[in-house]
Amino acid sequence: MAIVKMNKLSFIGLSDDKDLIIRELMNLGVVDITDISHIADEDEWKGMVKKFKGGDELLQIESDIQKIKSAIDYLQPYDKRKKTLFKMKRSLEYDEYTSAVNESALIWDVVHKIDEYESQLSLMRSEENKLSNQIAALNPWKPLLIPLELASTETTVITAGVVPASLDSKSLVDDLSSNVPESHIDIINSDKDQLYVLVIYYKKLEEEVQNVLKRHGFSKISFKGMSGTAEDIIKKLESQILSISKKRVEIKNSIEALADKKDILEVYYDHLTIERDRLAIVDRMLKTDRVFILEGWFPAEYGDKIEKTLKSKFDCIMEIRKPEEDEETPVLLDNPRLVQPFEAITEMYSLPNSKEVDPNTLMAPFYFIFFGMMVSDAGYGLLMSIITGILLIKYKFEGLLDKLLRLLFLGGISTFIWGALFGGWFGDIVSAVTSGRYSIPPLWFNPMNNPMKLLICSLILGAIHLFVAMGIQGYKKIKEGKILDAIFDTGFWYIFLIGLGLLLLGGTAGTIGKYMAITGAVLLVLTQGRSEKNIIKKFTKGVLSLYDAVGFMSDVLSYSRLLALGLATGVIASVINAMGTLIGFNPLGIIVLIIVFIVGHVFNLVINALGAYVHASRLQYVEFFGKFFEGGGKAYKPFKVNTKYININNGRIQ
Amino acid sequence: MTHWYDFLISGNFLALLGAALAVIFAGLGSAKGVGLVGEAAAGVVTEDPGKFGQALLLQALPGTQGIYGLLTAFVILNKIGIVGGTPVELTSLQGALLFAAAMPIAIVGYFSAIAQARAAAAGVGIIAKRPQELAKAITFAAMVETYAVLALLGSILMVFGIKL
Repeated sequence: MAIVKMNKLSFIGLSDDKDLIIRELMNLGVVDITDISHIADEDEWKGMVKKFKGGDELLQIESDIQKIKSAIDYLQPYDKRKKTLFKMKRSLEYDEYTSAVNESALIWDVVHKIDEYESQLSLMRSEENKLSNQIAALNPWKPLLIPLELASTETTVITAGVVPASLDSKSLVDDLSSNVPESHIDIINSDKDQLYVLVIYYKKLEEEVQNVLKRHGFSKISFKGMSGTAEDIIKKLESQILSISKKRVEIKNSIEALADKKDILEVYYDHLTIERDRLAIVDRMLKTDRVFILEGWFPAEYGDKIEKTLKSKFDCIMEIRKPEEDEETPVLLDNPRLVQPFEAITEMYSLPNSKEVDPNTLMAPFYFIFFGMMVSDAGYGLLMSIITGILLIKYKFEGLLDKLLRLLFLGGISTFIWGALFGGWFGDIVSAVTSGRYSIPPLWFNPMNNPMKLLICSLILGAIHLFVAMGIQGYKKIKEGKILDAIFDTGFWYIFLIGLGLLLLGGTAGTIGKYMAITGAVLLVLTQGRSEKNIIKKFTKGVLSLYDAVGFMSDVLSYSRLLALGLATGVIASVINAMGTLIGFNPLGIIVLIIVFIVGHVFNLVINALGAYVHASRLQYVEFFGKFFEGGGKAYKPFKVNTKYININNGRIQ
Repeated sequence: MTHWYDFLISGNFLALLGAALAVIFAGLGSAKGVGLVGEAAAGVVTEDPGKFGQALLLQALPGTQGIYGLLTAFVILNKIGIVGGTPVELTSLQGALLFAAAMPIAIVGYFSAIAQARAAAAGVGIIAKRPQELAKAITFAAMVETYAVLALLGSILMVFGIKL
């Protein structure tokens, strides 16, 4: 349970050395540089110091990073190498890194080529769309055997067009032939919306024909710029589409040929982000004409190293000091390896602030116990631990994912222990499969047979959890020097509540409990109103404070979920087993059994592990943290080499 | 004399009715709830498909009431020997007791699933803007779940406690 002590660095260096110093700080990788640029706006400093202005260089590098990134993403599907389930960073020697970075001409060439191919492909896509639209428009005219450009002869006009299909086609034909006998109409094709018609008529009768056609909702279709029959044109268009798809294959092959450049692009991407970080960090600093100023926090143990490195290489002024009384520092937690996974749970609530107790070591054992109790199946526990164990050994994860997997691994162990205690092995699988002849007896007791016993255990665990929380509250008061407050608010409550607990047991312990409870209650009534001036108010407030015992009771009852969720796992598992063995032990039955077991138990495991995670967290957040935890700490984020794709061995970048 | 409606006061019928209502109402509530969160989740995933996993987690939360209902039904069926054992002939009183025992999870399950879904759907709004605050979104929904868990506990303890 430790929050790492931080010291503050204030540093003034020559502007000429700035880039080198920033590199050095990045290689040290321990200083969390504070943003002090706002000081330049304060009246007392105005004119003395200036902000750094974000330059074009930064914008340029940002846009370069975007370009490289999109090239990498574009190459991703073409990378035919076997992909692992989780992408790990590659390790690189420093000279491999520099030689890759020096290939920038080649890299930009690749990026431009990919850009070019990409725009070609999208052009082709739109061309292809256009062609297939044209084909779709021409398709209905396929049965028309005259060339489409033919619009008239010496004395006749030839018009193609559509009329709505709702129309009675016969009436159109009749109407036209009766009104304008010197005409001919052909129905070329029809679909559910339209009739496709061809009309031929004597030139001089244009007006009459148009009148009839208009009545029937005719609209003309022009085949401008097309020559040949519809069928010929369609064939031509189709061959164009074919040649486009051939060309596309060519382009895709050329892209595929570039796929092996992805690695070097990734190195370059990381190189650029490192450069970007160096440029961007300057925004947090201040400058005068000749010098620049920075401030930052670092874990106290690195003080000597920082001082030695910077002083030996540069002309500078630096000061290292401890935080002042009311100064918040960035928070870095330093816990034993076993406790680290539980930091993930706390961090999702809030990081502790730099002046309080790190609750992780105290909450870890409870989370461990609660999680296991709520899943409580030895088979599920083994499964969880084995799967997460294999993943953890095979891959090297970082950050939150690593913590969560380790949390599940530990949760699996706890689940296994509780499962063995309660006799749950994939529910009652052994007795279900052997029709009750064999079963694995619980090491302790089966909660299905005696739920009250487990309920009491859950509540006792809850009470202990709450007592620990109250203890931390008391410890905080002692640390602040309010020893009396700690005794009155924590000590007396302990006496009162333990007394009440013993009272429930009855017997001799009950008698002791009775007196403890009475003593506690009297002490509480006398002390809880101490902040009031008026004697009557003192008394009433003291009496009313006893009402908090109700709050404590309801907190304790909240732990009954340990029982409920634990039972839920066991009962659902036995439902699955009952369903699986329903058909019996013939060949078909065994297949059904295996499928039902696998699907059912995986479902049950996932749902219950999720439930256990959620409710174990809730017990910490609401019941435990609620008593003492302030939170609101800012995470310690040192200025260091941050990469996405590669790790450079020994981490130094010149 | 026997009447056609005599089955209404048969113990086995009442017990089964209780079990059925536990499954029906808790399941209805969960179905409504999971659907409600799903709608909100789909909106977020349209914007950012990468949030599917987080959204799914929130969607799963109001689904537990349905499971609790089934669980209670199973405990009742197990008790009266319809599943895994020889069926027991119940008196009307025993049937009515089992019926009563099923009510907490049936009723609280229905309403808590929907209330929890509202909290979870609002939580989907949290992850839309601040995906790193998923745990807080889950905690808000889990606060509601407490009452479903308590109802389940009540139901189960009652069933276990009834002497046949």
